[in-house]
Parts: sequence; C-alpha cells; structure tokens
Amino acid sequence: MRYDLVLLNTVLIPVAGAFILPLVARISLKTRDFAALGLVLASFVFSLLLIPQIMAGRAVIIFSQLPLGFNFVLTADALAVFMACVSSFISAIIILYSFGYISHYENQNEYYTMVVLFLGAMMGLVFAGNLILLYVFWEITAITSWRLIGFFREKKHVICADKAFLVTMFGAVLMLIGFISIFQQTGSFDLAVIKESVKTNPVSNLAIALILVGIFSKSATLPFHTWLPDAGVAPSPVTALLHAAILVKIGVYVFARLFLTTFSLAQFWHTAVPIIAAISAIVSAGAALRETDIKRIIAYSTVSQIGFIFLGLSIGNELAVAGGLLYILMHGLAKAGLFLCAGIIEQNTKTKDITKLGGLIKTMPVTAMAFLFCAFSVMGIPPFGGFFSKYMVFAGAVETGHLWIVFAFLVGAFLTILYLFRVFNLVFLGEARSLIQAKEKSPIMVTSVAILAVLSLVGGIFINYPCGFVQIILANMAGIIK
Amino acid sequence: MIDKLLLLLLIILPLIAAVKILIIFRKFPKLTEAAALSATLLNLLLAIILFKSEIRFFAPWLGWGLDFSLRLYHFSAFIILAIAGFSFLIALYSVVFMRGKPCLNQFYVYFLLTLAFANGVVLSDNLLILLFFWEGLLLTLFGMIAIGNKNAFQVATKAFIIVGITDLCMMIGIALTGYLSGTMAISQINLPLGGLASLAFILLIIGAISKSGSMPFHSWIPDAAMDAPLPFMALIPAAFEKLLGIYFLTRICLDMFRLNVNSWLSILLMIVGAVTIILAVMMALIQKNYKRLLSYHAISQVGYMILGIGTAVPAGIVGGLFHMINNALYKSCLFLTGGAVEKQTGTTNLEELGGIGSKMPVTFICFIITALSISGVPPFNGFFSKELVYDGALQRGNIFYIIAVLGSFFTAASFLKLGHAAFLGKLQEKNNNVREVSFSMLLPMIVIALLCIVFGVFNYLPLNKLIGPILGESRLGGHNFSGFPVNMKLVVVSVVVLIAALLNHIFAVRVKGSAIKASDHIHHAPVLSAIYDRAEKRFFDPYDIGMNITRKISKVAFLCDKAIDWIYNVLIVKLTFAFTNEIKRLHNGSYSMYLVWSLLGLFLVAAFLVH
Repeated sequence: MRYDLVLLNTVLIPVAGAFILPLVARISLKTRDFAALGLVLASFVFSLLLIPQIMAGRAVIIFSQLPLGFNFVLTADALAVFMACVSSFISAIIILYSFGYISHYENQNEYYTMVVLFLGAMMGLVFAGNLILLYVFWEITAITSWRLIGFFREKKHVICADKAFLVTMFGAVLMLIGFISIFQQTGSFDLAVIKESVKTNPVSNLAIALILVGIFSKSATLPFHTWLPDAGVAPSPVTALLHAAILVKIGVYVFARLFLTTFSLAQFWHTAVPIIAAISAIVSAGAALRETDIKRIIAYSTVSQIGFIFLGLSIGNELAVAGGLLYILMHGLAKAGLFLCAGIIEQNTKTKDITKLGGLIKTMPVTAMAFLFCAFSVMGIPPFGGFFSKYMVFAGAVETGHLWIVFAFLVGAFLTILYLFRVFNLVFLGEARSLIQAKEKSPIMVTSVAILAVLSLVGGIFINYPCGFVQIILANMAGIIK
Repeated sequence: MIDKLLLLLLIILPLIAAVKILIIFRKFPKLTEAAALSATLLNLLLAIILFKSEIRFFAPWLGWGLDFSLRLYHFSAFIILAIAGFSFLIALYSVVFMRGKPCLNQFYVYFLLTLAFANGVVLSDNLLILLFFWEGLLLTLFGMIAIGNKNAFQVATKAFIIVGITDLCMMIGIALTGYLSGTMAISQINLPLGGLASLAFILLIIGAISKSGSMPFHSWIPDAAMDAPLPFMALIPAAFEKLLGIYFLTRICLDMFRLNVNSWLSILLMIVGAVTIILAVMMALIQKNYKRLLSYHAISQVGYMILGIGTAVPAGIVGGLFHMINNALYKSCLFLTGGAVEKQTGTTNLEELGGIGSKMPVTFICFIITALSISGVPPFNGFFSKELVYDGALQRGNIFYIIAVLGSFFTAASFLKLGHAAFLGKLQEKNNNVREVSFSMLLPMIVIALLCIVFGVFNYLPLNKLIGPILGESRLGGHNFSGFPVNMKLVVVSVVVLIAALLNHIFAVRVKGSAIKASDHIHHAPVLSAIYDRAEKRFFDPYDIGMNITRKISKVAFLCDKAIDWIYNVLIVKLTFAFTNEIKRLHNGSYSMYLVWSLLGLFLVAAFLVH
C-alpha cells in the first residue's frame, strides 16, 4: 500500500471536500449531510490505516521542496496518528449528532463546510512536519472557529466570536515570532532539521515563552482562557468540537509535538508550566462551581481539565506524559459527551440555566445516564477511562517530587467532583422545575451521546489498548523525556 | 491453573450476574432475585472451596509496574469468606424485604457489582488494581443510596463526595507509596515510617478509615440510614465497609508500613479511634429512631477497631481485628432486625413502637443476643474483642482506656433504651396485628446471632485460626489471646460499667416514666445540652464545614476569573479606543499640523542617516 497517499488523503479529503459540500447540497440536503459525515469518517479510516505502519515502528513522511527554502512536509509518527484518530473519530460522532441538532437552523451549508474544514485543518496541523505549515493550519482553525462560534449571528454571539478570534490570534502571532526566532537559530522550519540542530544548541527561553503564549491562548489556559466560556454561545456540536476534538487540543498537541518530540525544555519550565496549569485548574474549577449556565460550567471544566493535561505533559516524567496523552483521549470522549448532552437539554427545554431545570432523569433517562457516565469519566472514577489517565498524571507528578503542585491539583480534582455533581443534581434529579415536558426528541442525538458514554466506559475497561499505543509514542520520545 | 480460574471467578461471577440482571432480567423480578441468590450462593461456595488455598494470579497489564496481580492467602481468604457469607445472607433477606419496591433490579445490580468490586479489593496484590476496585465501590455506593426514597439522591451525593475526596487522597498516597518503595506489588512493599513515607501512610489511612466510616468522614451514614434501602445499611456500612476498611488499615499498618509503638502516627490513630468512639456513641444515645441509632453505633464501633490497631501492640491489633468481624456480625444483624420491624410495622420511629417483642419473638431474641454482644456482655463475642482492645489501650495510656470504657457504658445504655422502647413496654394499638416476619428474613438473623454466640463461647476458633496467622508467630510473641481474658481487673471494670449502665437505665426510666426518655438526663445535662443542640443542627458536620470552605474558595476563584475577563472585555477595549482616539485627533485635516509632522519625520530620517 502507498502509505504516503494514505497520509495525504487524511488531510486532503476533508480540506478539499469541505468546499464541495455546498455543491452537493444542490443534489439533496440529506446527501450533503451524509457526505460531510463520509468525509470525516474517511479521514478517520485513513488515519486508522496508518496504525499498522506505526506499530511496525515506521513513520510515514511526505516531503517536497518548495521555492525560497520552504518545504511541504507531512509526518505521520505515533503521536500524530494517535491525535488524528482521536480527533477525527470524535468529530465524526459530533457530525452524526449535528444531523439532529442543526436540522432546523439556517445556513446549514456554511455549517457543514466550516466543520469539515475545521477538522481538515486539524488533521493538517497534526501531521505538519514544518512550523510554517503548522502555523497555516493553526490559523485556518482560528478562522473556521470564528465563523462557527458566531454561527447564530446575533450581535452578542459575534462579539464572543471576535473575542475568541482576537485572543487566539494574539497568541498565534507571538508564537510565529517564536518560530521565526527558532528559524534564525537553526536555519530551518523543518521539525526534523530543528530536532537535529537543537541537540547541541538549545532553543532560547524567549522563543519558548512566546510559543507557550500561543499554546496557552489556543488551549484556553489562564490567563488566556476567558474566550472559551464565552464561546459557549455557539451551537452545541460546535462547542463539543472546540472543547473535545479540535481547538483546545491543538495547543496541547503542539506542546507535545514541539517540547516532547522535537526539543526538550529547560528544567525551569518543568516547574513553571505545571504551576500555571495548577492555577488555571483551580481558578476555573472554582468558577465552574458558581456559574449557572450549563455550557459555561462545562467550558470551565475544560479549562480545568486542560490544566491536568498540561501537568502530565510538562512535569517531565514518562508516566505523567503517558497519563497526559491518555487524558487527551479520555477527556475528548467524555467532554464531547457532556456538551452533546447539554445540547439535548438546551434544545428540548429551551434553557441553559441549571437553576431552572430539574427532574429531567424521568423524561430523558438516556441523556441522564450518558451525562453521568461522562461526568464519572471526567471525575476519574473507575472503571471509566478518566481514572487511569488521572492516576498516571498524578503518579508521574509525585515521582518528580513536586508534591505542592500535586496537592494543588488535588484541590482541582475535588472541585471537579463537586461541580459535576452540582450540574447533575440540579438538572436531572429532584423536582421538575420547568413546566415544559422535555422529551428526548431526536433519536440520532441520543444515540451519539450514548456511544460516547459507552466508549468512556469501554476505554477504561480495555485501557491496555490505548495504553499500549501510548507506549509506542513514548518510545519515539526517548531521550527527550526522562 | 484451575485454581487461578476459580480466583478470577470470584470477581467475574458476580459481575456476570449483575450484567445479566441489568440487560436480560430487567423486566422479570423473580428471575432477578433468583440470579442474585444463585450468584451470591456460588460465590459463597467458591469462597469456601478456596478458603485454605494460597493462590497468586499475575498478568502484565499497563507497564510501569501496573500489573494485574491477585493474591489469595489466609488474610484475604478470611475476608473473602466473610464478605461471601454476608452477601448471601443479606441477599436472602432482601428477596423478601425488597419485593415490590421500585428499582428492584437496580438494587441487585449494585449489590452484585459491590460484591465483585469488594472481592477485587481484597484479592488485589497491586496498588493500582486495589485503587481501581476501591474507587469503583463509589459508583455502587452512590447507586444504592440513590434508589432509596425521594430525597435519597442528596445523601447519595454527600456520600459520594466525602468518599470520593478521601479516595483521591488515597490515590496520591498510593502513587507516593509506589514511588517510595519502587514497586506497586502490595506484598513486596515494606517501608519504614518517617518523612515522605509518613505522608504516604497518612494519605492511605485517610482512604482506609473513610471507607470504614470513622470520624471525620462519617456524616453521610446517619443520613443514609434514614433514606437508603435497609439491606444497604446492613450490607455496606455495617459489614462490607468495616471489613474492607479495616482489612486495608491492617495491611497498611502491619505489612506495607511497620507501625510501631514509638511512632506519633500510632498516637494519631488512637486519637482518631478514641474520638470516634465517644462522639458517635454520645450521638447514638439521644437518637429516637431505630435505624439512626444503629447508624451512629456503626460509626462508634469502628473507633474500637482503629484504636485497637492503632495501639500497635499485639493485644490491641488482635482485638481490633476480632472486633471487626464481630461488629460486622452483630451490626448487620441489628440492622436486619430493624428492617424486620420496619417491614411489619411500617416505621422505625421509636415513639410509634413498643411492646412488639411478644409479637415478633424470634426477631426480639436475635436482637437481644446481638445487643448483648455489642454491649460487651460475656460470653458473647463483643465482650472478648472489647477486652482485648481495652488491654491494648491500657498498655498505651490510661486516657484511651478510660474513653473506650466510657464508650461501652453509653453503648450499653443506648441499647437498653432501644430494646426497651421498641420491643418492651406498652403495645401501640396500631401494632396489634403485627406478626413475625417470614422465614427467609429470619434465617439470616438467626444464623448471624448464632455466630455471635459461637464466636464468643468458642473464641479460639476465630482468634487462633483466622486472626492469629495475620499477625504471624513473631509478632504475636507467643501470646495466646483465646479463652477467657487473663486480666481479671479489666473484666471487673467492664462488668461494673455494664451494671452501672443497667442501673442508670432503670433509674432514668423510673424518673422519666418511659423508656424512650431514658437518655434525657444526659441529653439535657447542663453543658451537654448546648452541644447536643448544635450537633442536631449540624453545626459540627465536617461535610457542611468543608462545603462552606469550598464555597469561599470558589467565590475567590470566580472573582479572579471575572477580573481576568474584565481585562479582556473592558480594559483592552478601553485602551484600544483611547489609543485610536489619540491617533484620530492627530489626523485633524490641518495643513500646518501635517507640515509639522512631515518636518519632524524628515528630521528623524536625517538623524538616522547621519548616524
């Protein structure tokens, strides 16, 4: 099999296909919906096809030289394939859910085009083997997310979209300056060349700081996080995409790509990044405990959980990195599930205020159970997948001896249990407070959240499979992390 | 090979039964009951077959020393057998008790999952596996309480939050222990206390004592007693949690860390134990509800176990472990009698009961036996284990001994009150038609009550066969704790205390005129009454205090977050507008102004070129 073609297809199909969707809509709207799902699924299947190569220990690379010293490089190593599979799979479920969710809104062509392009840009970013290419895809996600957050076109929504765009753009520009400073030092944007070059000549701390600003703004970490709760005005499947599959995971991924597989961080950063992450985890978890808008609560929860992922990736310990990578998978599944549940609730009750809801478990039992499953996974309760990732992150952090950071995150984990139970109890248990007889109207939406909930459980029971794959990723990082 | 499969079956069998009930039998209550009964019976048979064996199961799993390893040896086999016995008897009891209740199939699913997870906890020989099953119990705990009455979910949440938070502490403890000892295999861990190891010890202990329901992690138990289904109380807080919590506590203190009499951690444990004994029993004394009174005793008794194991002397440890199994026996039986009363009269409020002893003679006899056991009357089992704990406590300090004996006084007093108020006295009119419960509810009570006598009269059986090997010859130091207590002074004090409790009761009933008011003179004593008032209003509930603190933290966090948001939404916007306004002002269309700018620019360019 031509694996380079497979790799090219994972990126090309969604990126090019996105623009064909409005044309397909001329045939029939149903065809367009399924075409959108097909494009994302194709991308997922092609990513899966790369796995045998990875298991055999070979990376797939596409390389072509461009004028002016630039080049076009796509690299599929274990980390990239892992991320691509996770993102495209979760996106596919979210598109399935959109069939039900988006069906009674206008501008559906724009929606599907943007969503598929969004995923395509993510795939491009994941496989990008060159900083400029990475930056280009990075900005495509910014533009598509801007359009998607302001999808409903109300004035307030557009302002939120602008805020998201401006904050992430600000970070991205600083990151670009960081990239240029790396270029000045190493003479190349190609990650493979940079990797060789920095072995003798470490990257300056200024460049790292600039890149970190970009990463933190994209991954919504304190103090660049407030755009994410505001982005909750977007349609629910979009927020699920932003939180679980694509946008905030970009920052985390680029962190792993640059600081774990390309060059190593100075000791200072192994303390500084976890401290920022810890503050972020606690502050946002505390805010989640006071908000009353269900989507804002879950958004703050993402900010908080991203802190855990950063702890795992940055503390400089193999077990913690493994935990951080598993966290990306488990958090993606569970958080997508939570947002999609919130979408079902929001559509059927016409409110997002949890203090006005109650007793929904009687009329929406599947949604309630799915929400509970996903919440357990985020809390890290066995046998759900989140347990293992949380344990590994904590155990790895303990091994580095930074016990104060561990205890700070412990507070974050306490608060996680509290705010998720607060939402669950107010929304699903107790007396029904709203007069509306909410029903689970759309079976396709309910099915998609059920799939995610079950996967959160299955991911925990068969943890050895993802864990085995993560070990291959770690083998690639050998020498960079301890 | 076959024995390894049998070992796995201990976990898998209840799991399969649970899944079967959940998916196939959900609409068929009879099949559900049959599946639950047969699964618990098979589990009991398995436990008996495997009782004498030593089996290890090992399978590599996740790397980093996180292997799937199980180990059955004398200690775990003992606990497995106890768990199996209780689950079968209580399943038998539940068949009648739960019949017709809503969420029947959910109840059995959680029941069987609890059994599977509990077996997993006891068998696991890897810290991660232990944590996996241990935290998994949270789910079934939540579920079992939540299916109770209408507001039970709030208690379920409370229980989940308290136990969940302590489990997280234990998670850190486990990570730290694994790191310090370089292995995750429990049977290979042997750390000296001190420094980080002490921290790991404390974190693990938090998990263990929270599971066993000790203070300050107790406050969900009395609430659950009122709201959760009764078999849950008999199964989980009365039996399973004590067995699991104290099992793990013992493993921590004896195997994983060497707790010795010189360690401050030993004192800490004894203080936790003593405080739990006295505070919980004081609360139990004033309760006017059958189940709620028992639930406070479920907390108080765990204090004796922690005190005993915390003494780190052989007599105390043996006493603590013996008390664990004794307490599981009489406490679950007491809850079952409470359930029988509830089933037949429809209430557990003591004010509406009275005189039903003649209507329910077998239940009453079971109650008497177990009440005598818990009060520590010879020759029932509770007497012997308490004497051993006293012996250990006295070796470590008079104050611990005095508190433990004082605890006994109040225990005896409150059971005299409970028995008198519920079973003796005047029969209320509405209870005239009350009859004895059916045989399958009586059988578990009778079996457990008989065991209470056997474990008392033939106490060499549990002490020499079950508990002796746990400490091992070297640690026992040649002591033989079976038979009648050697220290006659302790026995005399205990008997005097019991007689005092009896006299106190008779006196109080005569003065106040009714059994239910037998504790009023203590309840309304000068200083105590103020404290009791506040306790009844939940001023001292650690959960509420913790929640208040959390609320304050979250308020601060929320304000921080809003402040950051203000920078984006207001400050940056204002600064941008101020800046652009300034620029705008400069572009006012005036020629002279533009000329000045041009000249200024020209000058700067010239200056740059000259340099």
